[in-house]
Amino acid sequence: MAHAPGRQTDRRLSRRQLLVEVGAPVVGGLLAVSMAPAGGALAAPARVAPLAQTTSRPLTPTFYQWIIDLHPSVPQVNDAFKATAPLNFQIAPVQGFGIDRFVAEARDKNSTWDVYVGMTPFVEMSSLIAADVIEPWDNYIPQDVLNDLIPSIRNECTVDGHLYSWPFLLDIIIMGWNAGQSSQAGISSMPMTWDDVLADSQQVVTSGAAPYGVVFDAHGWRSLAPITHSISTNVYTPDLFFDFTSDPAIQALDVMKKMKALSAPNVLNPGTTDAGVNDTPDENAFAAQQATYYVKYQNAPLRFAATWPDPNQLQLGPLPKPQGGEGATVFWTTGACLFKYGQNKDQAAAYMKTLSYDPGIWKDSISGTPTAHPGQLPPYQSIYAGWNASPPDWMQNWVPLVFSQLQVARAIPNQKFGLTQFNIGQPYWEKYITGEESDPHVAMQAAFDAVQAQAKQSG
Amino acid sequence: MASTTTLGLRSGVATGRAAALARRNTGWVFLIPTLVFFIGWQVYPILRVLWMSFTDFHFLRNQPANWVGLQNYAAALADPVMWTGLWRAVIFTALFLPGMIFLPMLLAILVDRVTQPVLATTYRLILLIPAVIPGPLIFVLWKWLYNFNIGPIDYLLVQTGLVTAQTAPQWLGDPRLILPAIAIMEVWWGLGYHTMFYLAGLAGIPHELFEAARVDGSNEWNLFWHVTLPRLRPILLVLVVLRFGTAMAVIDEYLILGGFNRALPTYTWTVYMWDTAFQLGDWFQGYAAAIGWIGAAAMLVVVAGLFWVFRSRD
Repeated sequence: MAHAPGRQTDRRLSRRQLLVEVGAPVVGGLLAVSMAPAGGALAAPARVAPLAQTTSRPLTPTFYQWIIDLHPSVPQVNDAFKATAPLNFQIAPVQGFGIDRFVAEARDKNSTWDVYVGMTPFVEMSSLIAADVIEPWDNYIPQDVLNDLIPSIRNECTVDGHLYSWPFLLDIIIMGWNAGQSSQAGISSMPMTWDDVLADSQQVVTSGAAPYGVVFDAHGWRSLAPITHSISTNVYTPDLFFDFTSDPAIQALDVMKKMKALSAPNVLNPGTTDAGVNDTPDENAFAAQQATYYVKYQNAPLRFAATWPDPNQLQLGPLPKPQGGEGATVFWTTGACLFKYGQNKDQAAAYMKTLSYDPGIWKDSISGTPTAHPGQLPPYQSIYAGWNASPPDWMQNWVPLVFSQLQVARAIPNQKFGLTQFNIGQPYWEKYITGEESDPHVAMQAAFDAVQAQAKQSG
Repeated sequence: MASTTTLGLRSGVATGRAAALARRNTGWVFLIPTLVFFIGWQVYPILRVLWMSFTDFHFLRNQPANWVGLQNYAAALADPVMWTGLWRAVIFTALFLPGMIFLPMLLAILVDRVTQPVLATTYRLILLIPAVIPGPLIFVLWKWLYNFNIGPIDYLLVQTGLVTAQTAPQWLGDPRLILPAIAIMEVWWGLGYHTMFYLAGLAGIPHELFEAARVDGSNEWNLFWHVTLPRLRPILLVLVVLRFGTAMAVIDEYLILGGFNRALPTYTWTVYMWDTAFQLGDWFQGYAAAIGWIGAAAMLVVVAGLFWVFRSRD
């Protein structure tokens, strides 16, 4: 029997049907939705006053993974805190220094978490403030805690008079060395100046005590900036950019070039995890006992000396300085920020106080555990005063030495390009270190210009 | 009776139309999940990013985005970092594609010649081992292999005396070596997977063609060039297009193994786009979107060319 005209007898959908009857209307609708008018869907919410607290869930802190890896006592602190209040501890879904998830939620006036432990002021704090993701701790942090913060650390965490980061873990750029190798090379004293470092490193290489004399982390905030601070800390522009063209910075670059000659050939290579900032070649070399002297934050030599047959060979001391130099270094804290659209803010403050004053955290950090030896230090004056008055039996010699550096250390100023300015400038200053550029002024001017150009392009 | 028959005929017609309508709508119902995913996770983001590329949208700012027309595209086209990044991706693709296309083809032809079933299966299993290893483990493995200080490759090279500890290759740090090193890792990782593609293609070639060609006096090269290769053209098209796209768009490996050092060849247009969108300043995502669309447009032109090169000549 013949079919009536127009009757569809084939049950399958043809491509034409799919495109015409479904695709066109849907795509058209999507185009209309995507073309949000200016001030519409793409607009960020305007700043609003701090919200009234709501408590529809337990306190939900989120931590950067490495903090838990290096501080295995944190879960114990959490368990003890749960006895006083419900706690839903989570690991932050971030890679590298990523904050995009937090920003995205804030744009929806929402936050899965109440507090984020893992913020470093010069890295992401400015961005979190600009994007209206976090609010100050001012209304929540107890006054006694505020007064107990070491002043330079409190300054680091303060913007426009408001405390945006509750500091927790302190890192300072110092010098570590393998005393077994330095002794083998006939060196009996700690290098105090950069000339001492270079001479001692050459002696190590010449004597065969180690293949390389010195290693450093090539990222600018871990090497160029602290070496510059050892000369002078007056190296920032009025808008808080690192002044690559300043005389101290150029002197520091020259020190790095001389150290490179006595260092592992791959010392300038990026790391191989976490967007290149971790698992760096200096760590590999020091862990493999291929280099004697090590310029980095204290937790690096501590962690990697733990892999040695005799970790007691590790010595730590202040960052060297040139003759007549200011003798400063760089420090930073990893702290906690309070999500503006989070909940349980009073409890968040109570939690951070409990966590940051916990004696077990500091004992494990300083003396080490079977799984980690980070060596990160507390931010409170009272804790150091207590240790001075009654030194615990687990205290280690390097703590007073490293802490003494804090008196002269300076944080990298908070601004949106606080960290990325060093990423941008690195290819240019490294040309002088590798010999590709013979004039350090030219290399550093190029670095400075590149940063300024990027800042202008980024708006 | 006639009315009943008429009524029955009318209800039969009505039932037939309803049944046809139901059968037609059933197809749509089964398509809904796929459409939702495709539109929500593929089409919508693409259109959204396209729109974003015509605005001055900064993710961290609290000001509304403004339409700027082609300003972002003009700036990106004048941006040397973008062009350098695009060129670096082209270099990596040129290093990666031949190995990813021809090596699996050769292996498939060799494995296809194995007549002993157990041996053939064993070869297939061995080839597929890298394909089943998760990506993060691949990176950990090759990061260790390429390690300058403790990696086995440089250790063996130093032991053989070909290099010293000072002059050993810096696989992940030397700008001349890092892209070939990553290409080798990627080729090794995908070798078995792509070999299976070719084996499937070879299985579809009638053996009579080979026999007839041999009877006509063809040697192995003629068999390959005139029989095997033309029949593998559809497979080649799929693999070349797919792998061209993935090679040009690589980012994970570069971020893990190269970081944000702009002097390294791993700072390609994709890393620059990501850096601009999620790290630099106020995250100028309108500009990052323009970079992405320029790269995508360039890739589409090449893909169109590939479709023309691999067109059917029957």
